[in-house]
Amino acid sequence: MKLGYTIIYVTDVPETVAFYENAFGLTRRFIHESNLYGELDTGDTVLAFAGLEAAEMNGLAIVPNDPKGPAAGWEVCFVTDDVSTAYDRAIASGCAPVSPPADKPWGQTVSYVRDLNGCLVEIASPVTPPA
Amino acid sequence: MITGPATRPYSVTFQPGDTWIGVRLRPEYGVTLWRERLKTAQDTVLRGEDAANLIPELCKATGSEDLSAVIKGRTPVAESRLPRLIDAIHASGGRIRIERLATFAGWSARHLNRVFRDKIGLSVKTYAQLVQFHRTLKLIRLGGLALPAAAYEGGYADQAHLTRAFRRFGGFTPSALPKEISLPTLFPA
Repeated sequence: MKLGYTIIYVTDVPETVAFYENAFGLTRRFIHESNLYGELDTGDTVLAFAGLEAAEMNGLAIVPNDPKGPAAGWEVCFVTDDVSTAYDRAIASGCAPVSPPADKPWGQTVSYVRDLNGCLVEIASPVTPPA
Repeated sequence: MITGPATRPYSVTFQPGDTWIGVRLRPEYGVTLWRERLKTAQDTVLRGEDAANLIPELCKATGSEDLSAVIKGRTPVAESRLPRLIDAIHASGGRIRIERLATFAGWSARHLNRVFRDKIGLSVKTYAQLVQFHRTLKLIRLGGLALPAAAYEGGYADQAHLTRAFRRFGGFTPSALPKEISLPTLFPA
């Protein structure tokens, strides 16, 4: 078994894909013509978005993410060598700041923002194993 | 025939050879159809002359395209945030808390309820309960879930609550579902 997809249910798939391209410098793989599903090019594990309608069509019950309420209890983490540039870009592109870049004792730089839907996104440097 | 927002089963009698055409509307169009009479439309079915009194153009319609044209000809009295809120209720299987939905809308719970009553003709709570019933019905019929599992995933406190909801909204018990049943969905599959 391997982790193939992280799929976030959102109110507007095309808007969210465009937002992620803009805020995090990612590129889209495709958006389905129904506008109910879209994927980003994120390597081996695909970050994808599905419309709220898709939840009902799949027989699921989910609580929609809400930028005005507290975030759901999970996050997506993007890894980059230049955390502060990525963080500034995210904020400039409409992400809400949560926690600006900070250096952790284990040698990692870590920051948090919330996306247009209120989802937690971490932007961090790779963890460098102690020398 | 014009049906209002239904919260309990009703039967329709017809003769052999009768054919049916109809248009199903998303819930937020309740007010487009019923206008100010939506207040009294819950569990109301208008037939024949009563239906013609509400929408006279219906009598001239002879096919589903005519019907659609009649609906399109009526000025929609929409509320722009409502479709998103309805979607959120469906996505949560009717289990989203009303306070949370109100925050999502940027409204007070009271205003949220008023909009639902004015545009759909049902309270938010009743609407959510119907969605919960419909989803749980699908969990049993399509998903093949056993009743305790369906009650749990559907968000009912126990199987007794599940049974009560099925009786109230569907007129049947979960252990004796009608053989032929159309499973309602907001989105065409």
